[in-house]
Amino acid sequence: MSAVAAPPRALAKEGLVAWLVTTDHKKIGILYMLTSLTFFLIAGFLADVMRLQLAAPQQTIVGPHEYNQVFTLHGTAMIFLFVAPFGFGLANYLIPLQIGAPEMAFPRLNAYSFWLFLLGGLTVFAGLISQGGAAASGWTAFAPLSDVRVSSGVGQDLWIIGLTLTSISGIMTAINFLVTPIVFRAPGMSMWRLPIFTWEMIATALLVLMAFPPLATAFAMLLLDRHAGARFFDPGGGGDPVLYQHVFWFFGHPEVYVMILPFFGVITEVVAVFSRKPVFGYTGLVLSAFGIAGLSMGVWAHHMFTTGAVANPFFSALSFLIAVPTGIKFFNWIATMWRGAISYETPMLFAIGFMLNFLIGGITGVMVASPPLDYHVEDSYFLVAHFHYTLGGGSMFAIFAALYFWFPKIWGVKLGERLGRVHFTLMFVGFNLAFFPMFLLGIMGMPRRVYTYPAQAGWGALNLASSAGVALITLATAVLVWNVIVSMRKRFPLADDPWGSASSLEWATSCPPPEFNFRAIPPIRSKRPAFDLHYPEYAKDSPK
Amino acid sequence: MRLAALVITLAAATALAECAAIPHDATRQAGELHGVWSVFLTAGAVVYALVAGLILWAAVAYRRRDRATVQAATFHQNVPLELAWTVIPVLIVAGLFAVTYAAERHVDSVVTPPGETVQIVGFRWSWRFLYPNHHVAVEGTSDRPPELVLPAGRTTEVRLTSSDVIHAFWVPAFLFKRDAIPGVVNVYDYTPLKEGVYPGRCAEYCGTFHAHMSFTVRVVSPEAYARWLRERGAAA
Repeated sequence: MSAVAAPPRALAKEGLVAWLVTTDHKKIGILYMLTSLTFFLIAGFLADVMRLQLAAPQQTIVGPHEYNQVFTLHGTAMIFLFVAPFGFGLANYLIPLQIGAPEMAFPRLNAYSFWLFLLGGLTVFAGLISQGGAAASGWTAFAPLSDVRVSSGVGQDLWIIGLTLTSISGIMTAINFLVTPIVFRAPGMSMWRLPIFTWEMIATALLVLMAFPPLATAFAMLLLDRHAGARFFDPGGGGDPVLYQHVFWFFGHPEVYVMILPFFGVITEVVAVFSRKPVFGYTGLVLSAFGIAGLSMGVWAHHMFTTGAVANPFFSALSFLIAVPTGIKFFNWIATMWRGAISYETPMLFAIGFMLNFLIGGITGVMVASPPLDYHVEDSYFLVAHFHYTLGGGSMFAIFAALYFWFPKIWGVKLGERLGRVHFTLMFVGFNLAFFPMFLLGIMGMPRRVYTYPAQAGWGALNLASSAGVALITLATAVLVWNVIVSMRKRFPLADDPWGSASSLEWATSCPPPEFNFRAIPPIRSKRPAFDLHYPEYAKDSPK
Repeated sequence: MRLAALVITLAAATALAECAAIPHDATRQAGELHGVWSVFLTAGAVVYALVAGLILWAAVAYRRRDRATVQAATFHQNVPLELAWTVIPVLIVAGLFAVTYAAERHVDSVVTPPGETVQIVGFRWSWRFLYPNHHVAVEGTSDRPPELVLPAGRTTEVRLTSSDVIHAFWVPAFLFKRDAIPGVVNVYDYTPLKEGVYPGRCAEYCGTFHAHMSFTVRVVSPEAYARWLRERGAAA
């Protein structure tokens, strides 16, 4: 047993100052999650604007100039400022707790990376008040569209600089995620006893370290092209626009897995706890995380099948193979549920929703990885539907599962179950109503990133359905906010493990945990130390 | 088992109905592409039905019956089973890759010498069509979309490029698009089979009026095509 002494009370700062100067991984985790959820609300509002404009053909609620900024900021915020950073925030909070450590390996670096992330996000949005408005060349900012001769505004520069800051912040965070579980594990916590969530974050950290430097490179090249006459991407000066896509997607595809691996971890934890069984296929789950991470480094050009400039069969074959480790995860989750005693608290509802939605995202992912199919649906609404099924129906649903699951640990309060079920139902129905029609629209010929469409195209009804779905999602989000407000006012003491059958170490300390996490660390003799502590009579059954 | 068979049959039937809704006879290439769509939609629907069926089955069959249960079962690995659900998906994607590879080779191959040649240039925000052998040029604006005229039953080689940013030339009825990239000439061909007028659009986001960068393709008989070229050539 090892114990960590609490520091003298006089040293602990109070109030706002405590949050501004904190190097506590839990406070930084909370700051990350709150910031990313704020960006989620903003990006969600931008989605409302888009769906209002597209609800019927030939509307003029916003014009093309505004719409193009809106979809650029929506994608940018959802990807760079919501989904990935929420995963980072959750991992910041959980990794030290799950491995029985008092802190991250580099607490000050951790604090620095949060503030850099916030600064980066604000810099991107500062474009809105600059002359000419915010960036409007999409979250991909392809050259030469993002070149200064076409996108001359300061908004594009702020976008590039802001996202470069967030990518540097991500790199520093990844160093913490990689080093901490390797060197800071409590006695008894071997690598093969790490919770799956922590394993997924190790794989994520490796991806960030390999993929984010190329992103910073792509942006540096863009900036040099824009202001120093570098002409990397200018065919008139011996440059090549396709080069930008190579560098950008060399980041961009691993980024997709940076936005999903943490949430595969979340789903694994939630499914096991509410099925009241040990995680099935632990080794397979760990290996598949690294399989996905490894393969994802070699598939970037599947975003470029229609350029006519890449070896399509190679990138297609590797992309297909990703379906295999992803399938392994699905089968392990199903096997974890098999012969379980499953209860349906809100986190489990969102986990089931995640599986049903992500399955569609995955299957259509294999479709768009086939060049003959991609020739039709690349840059169409089919693609928009596909990636929303992975990032929205997948990652976002897992984020809600995580929110309900760890809320009691973080705040000492359980979110209301009744409102939770309303939230889930509205979200599941709304999500599928919003995004399934987009598959059909894409096949019918609707391109993405259009601010309007002609009435004679015949896309009106499906677009209206989609907009109605987004209205339901908005309502669902309001229910979530209401649930948080209502629940926070009804405080009552919680057990260390308020769910009653949790395994990992964060459930062996109080809700919320004390400073430096544990008053005493329980003996770690299996893959589920908290469960062994709470149910010693079953400890013999725990996988070692 | 019988339930599973029913679910799979229904899923496959739905997928085939969807395939029927996708156009497939506008060009020779679209016919081949449509074959790939049928395979993937059917396989996708069957896999979805199986996996979603398992999830929902487990969710209902293994719901908690006794609130006091803390540990329902303890099994946590099964190596043969885990190998099976690794190897079988590898075989499935290998099969899908074979289908993909065969079709792509056909669709991407270019007939030489081409029967006809047309140069397509994308610009913000419309298209220019040049028939170099006939000194005919057609240029549109975002308000007046241009019309590309192609002869039915003959292969026309397309030489596609852009004069500013990246665009993409997409004819949904042909199930095909290709990027128009400045400094690059992308070459592919169409063999239209059915006369008619097909709408097309720019698919690669290219700035403010991307939404208005549309065009039409009119496929006509070889005789009508020759007549159109003569009239156009004379007018120029």
